[in-house]
Amino acid sequence: MSSVIQTSTDQDALLRAGIDRSLRHPVMFFLTSGAAWLAVSIVLGIIASAKVHSPEFLAGFPCLSYGRVFPAHINALVYGWGFQAAFAVIIWMMARLSRKECTAAGLILTAGHVWNLGVILGLVGILSGNGTGMPWMEFPAFTWPVLLFSYFSILIWSFIQFRVRPEGHVYISQWYLLAAMVWFPWVFITANTLLHCIHGHPVMAAGINAWYKSAVIFLFFTPVALGTAYYLAPKVTGHPVYSYSLAKLGFWSLAVIAPWAGMQKLTGAPIPYFLPYVGAAATVLLFVPAIAASINLLRTTLASPEVVASSPALRFTIAGIGGLILLAFSAVVLNLPESTLPLAQFSLSGYGFEILALYGFFSFVMFGAVYFIVPRVTRREWLSRRLIKIHFLFSVYGIITVALVALFGGLQQGIGQEDWQQPWQGAATRAYPYAVATTIAWCFILFSNVFFFIHLTLMWLRLGRRSSHPTLLISAHGHGPGPHGEEGDIDNAGPGHMPAH
Amino acid sequence: MSLRTFIFGLSAGFGVAWLAVVVVPFIKMRNLAPIELSEATDGATGIFFPKRAGRIADGAQVYAENGCYLCHTQLVRPTYAGNDLYRPDWGGLKADPDRGDTRRETNAYDFLGEKFAQIGVSRVGPDLSNLGRRVENQYAAGGDPSKWLFAHLYNPRQDPQRWKSTCPPHKFLFDKHRVTGSPSVNALPFGKHGDTELVPSSEAKALVSYLLSLKKDQAVPAVLNFAPAKTKTAP
Repeated sequence: MSSVIQTSTDQDALLRAGIDRSLRHPVMFFLTSGAAWLAVSIVLGIIASAKVHSPEFLAGFPCLSYGRVFPAHINALVYGWGFQAAFAVIIWMMARLSRKECTAAGLILTAGHVWNLGVILGLVGILSGNGTGMPWMEFPAFTWPVLLFSYFSILIWSFIQFRVRPEGHVYISQWYLLAAMVWFPWVFITANTLLHCIHGHPVMAAGINAWYKSAVIFLFFTPVALGTAYYLAPKVTGHPVYSYSLAKLGFWSLAVIAPWAGMQKLTGAPIPYFLPYVGAAATVLLFVPAIAASINLLRTTLASPEVVASSPALRFTIAGIGGLILLAFSAVVLNLPESTLPLAQFSLSGYGFEILALYGFFSFVMFGAVYFIVPRVTRREWLSRRLIKIHFLFSVYGIITVALVALFGGLQQGIGQEDWQQPWQGAATRAYPYAVATTIAWCFILFSNVFFFIHLTLMWLRLGRRSSHPTLLISAHGHGPGPHGEEGDIDNAGPGHMPAH
Repeated sequence: MSLRTFIFGLSAGFGVAWLAVVVVPFIKMRNLAPIELSEATDGATGIFFPKRAGRIADGAQVYAENGCYLCHTQLVRPTYAGNDLYRPDWGGLKADPDRGDTRRETNAYDFLGEKFAQIGVSRVGPDLSNLGRRVENQYAAGGDPSKWLFAHLYNPRQDPQRWKSTCPPHKFLFDKHRVTGSPSVNALPFGKHGDTELVPSSEAKALVSYLLSLKKDQAVPAVLNFAPAKTKTAP
């Protein structure tokens, strides 16, 4: 009996190794180029942020004027880093969870280059003064079919793998990833056709743009991050997910609520009266899926605090869940019509909310996944515990500063804006110190991510440690098996030789 | 749950909202029903069709390409959604020399000729809905409004009273020219060095023409007019 189990675990290990090998280059390509774009985006973000309080900074360069460098910053963050990190994680996890090797690595790699080309052309378009002027869609209009085409070429294989997988359980991670894969093209095609191809009412076009921003956050980045967290938490701790029904509640409430959100940014604009209020209500209600998933994931992981302390993957994931909880609270606090919405509608807090979602929540979970996936696909261990710690601490300090600044600074600025008996300059004066703080926080985040990028590139070059001891944040010498399994098998997914999924 | 049920659930959850907040409102707003003026309340007959003069499409493009919408909004919210209307010069002028109090909220006809309404992302700077009127009546009172805007775009902190402004300079929208013969009409007053002068490029002219067209204070028909009834001034 035990020899049968032994054979099946061996086969599992072989299958996992095969899957990892088949995806090594696509996954590492997306992660490394994503990390490079992240560094570019942060540099642009620092320049933009510095210009908010020191407008003459680098004023001699037309391509670096605030109105161009800021959209370049946010679009590089979304399409350069965010989507590519998501691609890497989706193709790897879907292959692992469907137990299928990837047979289209070359095509995915080619499509990945096309995606990067699209991002480069888009950013050159913005910086050279050819942006469209629609937030988060500033890339010149010709880029969106390029991005859409490479999106399909990258992810269609994961969908096929899911269709032809051996019969079996569908994991919670798979719900979220499949949902994200279906929702995003729908959202992207809708927004781009209605804004670029069909002539509509200009104010409704602005409304659809606001909806697009919200939909990309809550119908793509959020499900991808939650799917990843639902993979990592049980995998690294070796405990099953705390509650299946809570997971179901979290998933279906997101699916039903999130598509209504977004148009509260147009409160008071001449569009149908119900749209901004539905948007505000839906954004507030997003508290439900966010908290359901957070509680579930925290209950799963915090049952083994020693693993959380030592595993870099789990430490980043839990920080990301912390970001999600903060995001859920700010969704409530910033969107109450008649009280905070008029203050938050046109203040710093909108940017802060987006950065909190993109970096404080999504990116942290992605970093967690990176620290888990990369040693498996490269068969090398992370070089340095200290580099991981620097990455974590500076990112956390930076993002907490950005989030707090945006929440409090945004409301302060909003109070100044609404105080109509005072001159307008008052609102700007209130926002000034917070703008300075944001610049400093971005410098922290840049510092942390330069180290992350170097570390990751060394790993892709297979210069990682040739060791079977996983790199843990706390030295585990002589303390039994670490959270990544018994020493000697880096492909081991967790204690107790769980089957591959 | 089969894949088919799952995909159906996803599509239904998303599709209902997609139809209700995106597709149907988009189609409904494509062709707004024309507003017929009534002799009794508007003092005119026919169809309400506000006119806008200037290089709207060109200028809006320069506005978009240079990210003006990141710091400036173009939306005067009704009083239930914010205090914009109370500011004396945002939604019109509190004391227009000819028409009295012209302040009103933004309506769907204000963005005529634009492809995308630049509602804006945040208000680092003031709202621009009524900028054209504001420049003509206040900032450049008695002078040439487009010259004031050219100088402001070149260096927003040129005026000592505006030293705290954080608006980025747009010097790249201006060209350095050699003066041959008489100086150019639009040359910047402070850009003269020897025999060169600074003149606005075609983009700057389009942008200024667009900015001066931002006068969202024209009278609206009674059905669009939500202002409280004017109290009669004491004789």
